[in-house]
Amino acid sequence: MTPARSSSLALRRRYRWLNLAVVIGSALLCVMLLPMRLPGMVLLSVGPSWLLIWLVAWSVQRTSVEGAIAGFILGLVQDGLTGYFPTHTLGLTLAGFLTARIQKQRFIQEDFVSVAIIVFAMTVIAQTTMALQISAHQLISSSSPYPSLPEIWLQHQRIALSSAILSSLRAPAVYYPLSRWWAHYEQVMTPPGG
Amino acid sequence: MFVVRRWWNQYALKTGLVALMVVAALGMRETGGAAIYELYRWATSPFHPGPSRAAMLQSSYAQELQQRLVELESQNRSLRQVVEGDAAPLAAGTPAAVIGRSAGDWWQQIIISRGSSDGIDADDIVTGPGGLIGRVVAVSPNSSRVLLVSDTTRRVGARVRRSRATGYIRGEMGQQVEMEFFDKIPDVKVGDVVTTSAYSQLFPQDIPIGRVVDLDLSKSPAPEVTVELTSPLNIVEWVTVIPFEPKSVEIPAVNAPASQEIIPNRAAEDNLAP
Repeated sequence: MTPARSSSLALRRRYRWLNLAVVIGSALLCVMLLPMRLPGMVLLSVGPSWLLIWLVAWSVQRTSVEGAIAGFILGLVQDGLTGYFPTHTLGLTLAGFLTARIQKQRFIQEDFVSVAIIVFAMTVIAQTTMALQISAHQLISSSSPYPSLPEIWLQHQRIALSSAILSSLRAPAVYYPLSRWWAHYEQVMTPPGG
Repeated sequence: MFVVRRWWNQYALKTGLVALMVVAALGMRETGGAAIYELYRWATSPFHPGPSRAAMLQSSYAQELQQRLVELESQNRSLRQVVEGDAAPLAAGTPAAVIGRSAGDWWQQIIISRGSSDGIDADDIVTGPGGLIGRVVAVSPNSSRVLLVSDTTRRVGARVRRSRATGYIRGEMGQQVEMEFFDKIPDVKVGDVVTTSAYSQLFPQDIPIGRVVDLDLSKSPAPEVTVELTSPLNIVEWVTVIPFEPKSVEIPAVNAPASQEIIPNRAAEDNLAP
């Protein structure tokens, strides 16, 4: 084994750990942004869905299983931050799965505008699963503390729209650095000579 | 067998990492995100509203009014003592800064900068400028999460101060809440002040909640009025946490409604009886 080859092996191993740190660190940063209400990031008292933006950035270049697993894990974390019901895991798992599927079928090219559009659509889907859960609870349980169905869906309109607009506007801020890093990472990790 | 082994050789590291992540996320979920909120509190600590600013905000005029209020309150208390006997005074509260808002769009929560190491427990009552704010639902060592009165699952026993008509308020994710009465024809007018009622088992009585802004007395099955909260929930910076002491209320026992269903990780609702 030549010294150059062994050094490239060491480099790759280091990059693998670095990649893990970047993935966890960036996700953690998005989690920490959730309770913040920075000026210019609130619309009708709703903030951007940072975790969903991160999830879309993660899923666009990966398989649907990876996207769904990441969505499930992030959903568990966000449930811990807010409450168990309605759960975020369903919406985020679905969003991760669907985002990876879209990319597979090559409907959409990978650039900022299309990522913003994906984020918009996925936010609406994720918020709709939340509203569906609350509606189901309201319909099934007679002593449900939740308001009536028209009220829930009125709230859904407000939350889904403002969250989707804000998230799609902020999407490049998360997506651009992450996609640059992953492109660089792929370049380093591919063995020389293909 | 060979297929399994080949799969394992290829994906062992990934599987291990995923399992680790799932376990970590489950732990995060069970502890109510305590680790994240601790980290969040530490990272945002330079931006917390400081006591100097709070002192600046409290203008001398407000202080003067407050002193007069304290005097009036003590007068009122002694008069009330003469009329209807002794009522327990409120316990001293812990001041806390608001350092964050709810991490999900379907919840109305705030994050405050005091936690179990400052003696705060789940179910403690949170008040602020303007009156009732909410109730602590989760604590970590140095921060806690408060479910606001404006959350849609929140029910608080309330009464109109002028006429003593009792009912409960229901959050609507905004500055306005709905109040429903137990009476068919309650004595209520626009402008009436609404406070927590003596029948509330979760909140001490007479904490101001808001002011009536709209009436819908024709609504069935019970009349409904809209109450504007007096505490500005979306801009509040400082709150006071009052320890919760369960009280036994002697309710004139007539057909008490079945207790509200308890949603996981949401505080229990008030059990109210007319």
